[in-house]
Amino acid sequence: MNAFEYAAPTTKEQAVSLLGSQWGETEILAGGTDLLSLMKDNLTTPKRVVNIKDIKELQGVKYSGSSGLRLGALLTLEELLSNATVKKEYPALAQAAEGVSSPQIRHVGTVGGDLCQRPRCWYFRSGLGYFPKATGLQGPAFAFSGEKSFAEEVTNESGKDLIVNGKNEYHAILGNSGPAYFVHPSSLAPALIALDAKIRIFGSAGWREVSAEQFFVTPKNDGDRETVLKPNEILGEIIVPSSQGNPERDIRSPAKGGPGLAPSLLRL
Amino acid sequence: MNKFVAVQDCGLIINEKTAESQVFGAMIMGVCFSLFEERVMDDVTGRPLNANMEFYKLAGIGDIGDFVVHMWKDDPEQDARGVIGLGEPPANSPAAAIGNAIANAIGVRVPQAPFTPARILEALEKKGGLSS
Repeated sequence: MNAFEYAAPTTKEQAVSLLGSQWGETEILAGGTDLLSLMKDNLTTPKRVVNIKDIKELQGVKYSGSSGLRLGALLTLEELLSNATVKKEYPALAQAAEGVSSPQIRHVGTVGGDLCQRPRCWYFRSGLGYFPKATGLQGPAFAFSGEKSFAEEVTNESGKDLIVNGKNEYHAILGNSGPAYFVHPSSLAPALIALDAKIRIFGSAGWREVSAEQFFVTPKNDGDRETVLKPNEILGEIIVPSSQGNPERDIRSPAKGGPGLAPSLLRL
Repeated sequence: MNKFVAVQDCGLIINEKTAESQVFGAMIMGVCFSLFEERVMDDVTGRPLNANMEFYKLAGIGDIGDFVVHMWKDDPEQDARGVIGLGEPPANSPAAAIGNAIANAIGVRVPQAPFTPARILEALEKKGGLSS
């Protein structure tokens, strides 16, 4: 991990002013469950890390029958799923939070962080970006006596799409025309989209609002990110309109404690 | 995994509790490598894709069934053999035992560990489904 500057602002205005205008210059720290592993793997090397955990305004949960549910981005997943009102009025949200594996992660991981996770695509996590391609010549590293030599067996697979041709059992196959094929790892996103939630984003020009559905985008270039957030904006809060309970079905890999493969939600 | 029984013959037992613990440990390891552990490599680049504890899967506590360890003991002939190693032997049989249990349940052998859902479906497909 590289050395970096650390800032812990107490207001959202300070936080925004501390953020850079390019992705990767600065990173936002809340629960840190994803950021730390990204930094340890050198997938991001920010010059400054801005800890937003001390911004009181972005914490907490509030409910009223008329205006619905307001979730501060800093609410932990454990706070969300153990909240009596959420359990009663929005059981799908509580279930989705429960779907985030391991109590340790739920106790530090935040609602905003769940939505801003980077892809768990293992090519991406290996440092190959969204669009891993074979580069140059590929062939056996050694040739033993009697076998073909490297030069005889080498093939030029340059430009071959590694995900499409490779190990893609955890990649997106439905509703994705590419060019990036990862599955978004957020557990809460399907529930928030089904519940018509609004994501409120704070930037230097003040608040703006997008629907949960529009919040996510498929990156077209390696420098892009997976949401409509700009580098110097913060996911501040989430507003969920009053609603009926919804069942959720989560498709996971068999080992306990692994990330969800394909969270889904059916609204009845 | 519902129930898993191991009967271990290891010669003279000095301390039964720790000897049993060795077998329990081996059984847990056996469940891990029979059902979960797998190194995934990218075929084109030869890069390991799951060199981390997120995608290199291990059994969690919920994946471990009811384990029964039965130490072969009170047999003068066995005791006379003296102390024999116990670290590795009980780790040898779980994959075979679990593989046999799967073959018994679905009527077809899954020839490669770990016996993942995908490999079981593949074996069933080759056989032509569960019903035949």
